This record gives sequence, structure tokens and C-alpha cells, in this order.
Amino acid sequence: MRHILAFLLLAGLPAPAFADVGAAVDRRILPAYEGFATAAEALAAEAGTTCDPEALRPPFNAAWDAWMQASHLHLGPSEEKGRALAILFWPDPKGLGGRAQRALLTGDPAALEPEAFAGQSVAARGLAGLERLLYPSSPPEADACPLIRATTQDLARLAQELVAGWEGPEGFAQNLLTAGEPGNTRYLAPGEAVQALFTQLVAGIEFQADQRLGRPLGTKDRPRPERAEARASERSLRNLTLALKALREMAVTLDGTAARTASAFDRAIEAAEALEDPTFAGVASAEERPKIEELQRLIRQIRRTALDEMPPTLGVTAGFNSQDGD
Amino acid sequence: MTTRRGFLVGLASLGAAPRLGWADVGAPAWLTAGMKPDGAYVLHGLSAGGVSRFEIPLPARGHAAAAHPTRPEAVAFARRPGVFALVLDCFTGEVLSRLTPPEGRQFNGHGAFSADGRLLMTSEVVAEGSAGRIGLWDAGTWRRIGEWDSGGIGPHDLKRLADGRIVVANGGIQTDSTDRTMLNLETMKPNLALLSAEGEILEIMELEEELRQNSIRHLALIDGGTGVAFAMQWQGDPAEAVPLLGVWRPGEAPLLCEAAPGDLFAMKGYAGSVAAVGERIAISSPRGGAVMIFDRSGAPLATHRRADVCGLAALEGGFVASDGSGALWRLSAEAMEPLARHDVAWDNHMVSAASL
Repeated sequence: MRHILAFLLLAGLPAPAFADVGAAVDRRILPAYEGFATAAEALAAEAGTTCDPEALRPPFNAAWDAWMQASHLHLGPSEEKGRALAILFWPDPKGLGGRAQRALLTGDPAALEPEAFAGQSVAARGLAGLERLLYPSSPPEADACPLIRATTQDLARLAQELVAGWEGPEGFAQNLLTAGEPGNTRYLAPGEAVQALFTQLVAGIEFQADQRLGRPLGTKDRPRPERAEARASERSLRNLTLALKALREMAVTLDGTAARTASAFDRAIEAAEALEDPTFAGVASAEERPKIEELQRLIRQIRRTALDEMPPTLGVTAGFNSQDGD
Repeated sequence: MTTRRGFLVGLASLGAAPRLGWADVGAPAWLTAGMKPDGAYVLHGLSAGGVSRFEIPLPARGHAAAAHPTRPEAVAFARRPGVFALVLDCFTGEVLSRLTPPEGRQFNGHGAFSADGRLLMTSEVVAEGSAGRIGLWDAGTWRRIGEWDSGGIGPHDLKRLADGRIVVANGGIQTDSTDRTMLNLETMKPNLALLSAEGEILEIMELEEELRQNSIRHLALIDGGTGVAFAMQWQGDPAEAVPLLGVWRPGEAPLLCEAAPGDLFAMKGYAGSVAAVGERIAISSPRGGAVMIFDRSGAPLATHRRADVCGLAALEGGFVASDGSGALWRLSAEAMEPLARHDVAWDNHMVSAASL
């Protein structure tokens, strides 16, 4: 490959669009799901031995850390049967999760049996649901232990299904790796797999700026610190930072030449790491707010840079209709 | 060898001017606009199998088209804010007429013919303030002959019911007259307006207050043309899952169709097209990269994933969809399968040609 590329460059021909879908799948996507499955399994195992929130917080946080490696991937098995929503239901402006969870806490224990629990509201389950149980704002109305166990087991099951859905000869990874080949009805051309991954990257960056930061930022006149993600476990900034790092790795794996995009990521990650405000409470403070706004600006700058730098190398475009709207 | 066109020219020269129908242009099942790899905009007539029957150049990006009920003529509308609509002869590719909205009016992307094909109705806005109008055009001379009040702000799609009455989707959004900047998101109030065949406003259907920011934009006829399925675009908090499809029959309350719990956010709050066939209704979301199929009672049946998918039309008991990568898809509640692929980025809408 290197020889062909060198030849093309020597010959003065434009280098072909090049994107490493194989590396993105093998080095980023599959390890991310496997890591989450391992962490979710460990959390469920620990919950099998104790329901003490103090004891469960470390494996809980490890599981959430692991999910941040994959949470930006909204394609394939994570989008089937509402799995991604069931793993992390946020934002939840109407408090659907808390309400549905209270009903489970005080209701018929039969709903906590694995099969029945898998059919419960996506808002009540997953990491955000567990956070409410492990970092309660008030003492629970009933023994939370059965619900904690049901939720951790459900998470482990979902993680297993994601791994199974991606891997193996029939797995979703094959769709990406065989794009354009006969019989692949998901991606009709090699470029469509690249496009799909690039779309995930851009949407992932937007989510950090618009949701993870945008929701607590609200407006200058009306900051909304209470809308930050994962305030109880003080993971708001941590989630953002981990997601940015995962997205950065995705970008440079897909396009090893995207140096400006990588630098833009680095500036934002550095700013995030310098922020000493785990829950973005500073959005409501005149002194701290500009730092969070600056972080948001840096993240939006990553998006602009990526959209400017990567499409020519990857041979992708912004969506013809998705970017138009009418 | 006598070509068909040569033969027709021969006939015409004999003074026996033939009346052409849609069959003469290969009986396209659908019309859809698009963009070629070189950036040129075109209108295509497509067969039920996804084969292109004709390609006609457009001067700018198209949005939707309206097919004349009998003559092989299509009116292609520019995307909003529209300054032109072209009447195209789908046999020769010739521009028969270029419709320009009167001073102070803008086309808003869609239009419909009366049943007898003598009147073309176009969705329009008063440029300042976005008050809705239905422009009236003589479909013989293509002269502007009048206009009606659309019954709301920012009308987009409109459909003629089987009995001749018109349903207009008044999206409710006031836009800047020079671009698409939305000016009234805090106060918007979309509606469906039922107009008589003479333009009298007979009924206005509004959604409940908490769905006020759900812009009603696209329509498909249902129940034998006695009602409409309507597709919406949510302008409120994207973290709130709201129904994006509704069904309405004049005189009745609307039925809102909720997505399956696991797919609440699959459409990203945005339905770009809607089509209905028999007991099935489909909506598409280019933003979410998804098509959802519901049954007539509002139950979600399936969600199919495809990037940048938008155009939707009915196909023998199922649907066909088009996307920005040039692919055409056949879909049902059970499956989504590729039908054909062209080197054209298909635009937002597919419309059924009269021959279907």
C-alpha cells in the first residue's frame, strides 16, 4: 500500500481518499464494547455480593468510564432495541427515569426478574438509574438492593448483547468492513462506511458542546447548573473529558493525517482537564462561567476543524438532506 | 429507423397534434429532484423499479414537485425561500413556463393540482411576516389568477382530498425573508387548515399547547383521500421525545403516533417526509438516518436505518425511499432492501406521478 501511495505521489496524481475503517473497528470500536462488557460484568458481580453504595461506587464508576469509550457510537446494535438509551438515559428533562424507577422500587418484585426488567422503561435503567440508587439524595422508600442488582445485571446483559451484535461472522462490524461488497445491503459502497463513522464523530463532538455543556450553560440570564449530567456522582466533567478523548482517538485512527483536528482536540481536552469544576456548577458564577463557555467554544472549534480537514482525505461529505432541512 | 420522437414530430407536422400522457414519458412512478456529482441540479422521473425514465436540468436546488394529473408535465419547486417554480414538459425536457411569485410573495416548496388539472395551487408566504397564502395559477396559460389565505403562518405542504377540499400544513414558523432564520420559536403555533375547493377556510386543527413547537410540515393522503397523515419537526428541547407523526380527518381529533420506547430519539425530532399506503404510514428522518413505519392506528411497526434518507413514496403495498447517496430503497414493516443506485444525491421528496 505504501508503495502504491508513494508512486501516486511521485506521479503527481492526487492521493486516493483514504480512511482506515478496519483500524477504527479493530482498535477502537470492538475494544470499547469489550471493555464496557468487562466492567459491567464486574459491577454486576460486586452487586451480587453487596448492596452497600460505598462498595459499589468504584465498579460503578469504572463501568461508566468504560461506557464513555463507546457512548458516541450510535450505529448498529446500540441503536437496536433501545440499548444505548437503556445504558445511559440522559438528558432526562422531565425526570422520567426517577419516576419510573420509584415505581419499580416500591412495586411488584416480579418486574425485577431479568426478562421483565429488560422490558421496563429505558429511562429507569442503566447508569443514570444506578446513579440515583448509589448516590441517593434522600433515603430510599424501600430496600434498594433488589433494584440495584436487577439494574447491574441488566447492564451486563446489554453490554454482552453489544459485543455479540458487533463481533462474529454475522456481526455489525462486518457491515463496516465489507462495505460495497455484494450482499452488504447496509453500506452500498466503501465510502458509506467511512461516512457513517465520520458522521458519528461529528455528532459526538456536537453532543459534548450542545448537550453536556450546553444544557447546564443555558443562557447568561438563566444558567441551568441543575441540568448538568451525573451531578450526584460528580461525573459531569469527567464524562465530557473521557468522551473527548475517545472521540480524538476515533478521529486520528480513522484519518492518521488529521493533525489540525488532533490539535483542536488537544486544546479542548487541556482546557477540560484544567477546569476544577466536576459538575459545571460554575455556569452560574460570573467568574467561572467564562471558562466553561471557552471550553464549549473550543469543542465547537474541533467540529469546524474536523469538517474542514477530514472530508477531503476521507472522501466524505456533509449529508445532502440531513444538513439541509425543510 | 423511426424514433418515437421523430414519429411524433411527423404527426405534429401533419397537423394531428397528439395528446401526450404520462405513458409517453415511460410512465414514471415518481418524480424526484437531486444533484449530480458535478453539482448540477436535476429532476428525474423514476420507474417503480428505480430506473430513471428521464432527467431534466434544474437551475437551482429543487425541493418537491407536483405532477399534473393527466399531462406529462411537472412543476418543480425551488427550495425555500423559493423565487421560482418550473413547469417542465417531461417528454422533451423543455421548460414550458417559469412561475415567479408576485412581488412580496415567496414559494414555500410545495404545490398541488386540482382534480381536473386546470388549477395549480402553490404554498407561499408573504415575505415579510411569513403569513401563509395559497397561490393560484391557471394550469393552461400558467398565469397567476389569485391567491387564498392559507389559514396560518409558514405553510409548507398541501394536499387535495378526494372530495376536492384542500388540507394545508401551516408550519407556524416565521422566517427571515432572505434566509431561513426562524424568528418566532417562542410563540409559534402550527396548524392544519382545511380549505374548500374555493379557498374558504372550513376548519383549523391545532395541537395541544405543549406540542406548540412541533412544526407541521408534510402531508400524505390516507383513508382513500379522506384524511391526511402529517409529519412534524420539533423545535423544542431535543431531549424531549415528542410524536413526529399524526393522522387527521376533518371534523375529528388528531391521532398522534408515538415511536417505540427504544426508538424515541431515532429521528432526532425531525420528520422530513411522509407517505402512506393502505394501512401503513412511513416517516423519514435524514437527521436521524431512519425511517419509521406505523400502522393506521398509530402503533410503531419498524424502524429502518439509513444515512441521509428522506424521500418517501408509496409502492405497491409498501414504500420506496431515496437518500443523499443516490440509493433507492424498497421498504416494508419487515425489511428495507436496496432497489437501485444512481449517481445522484436525491433531494428531500419523491412525489407520485399521476400514472401510478
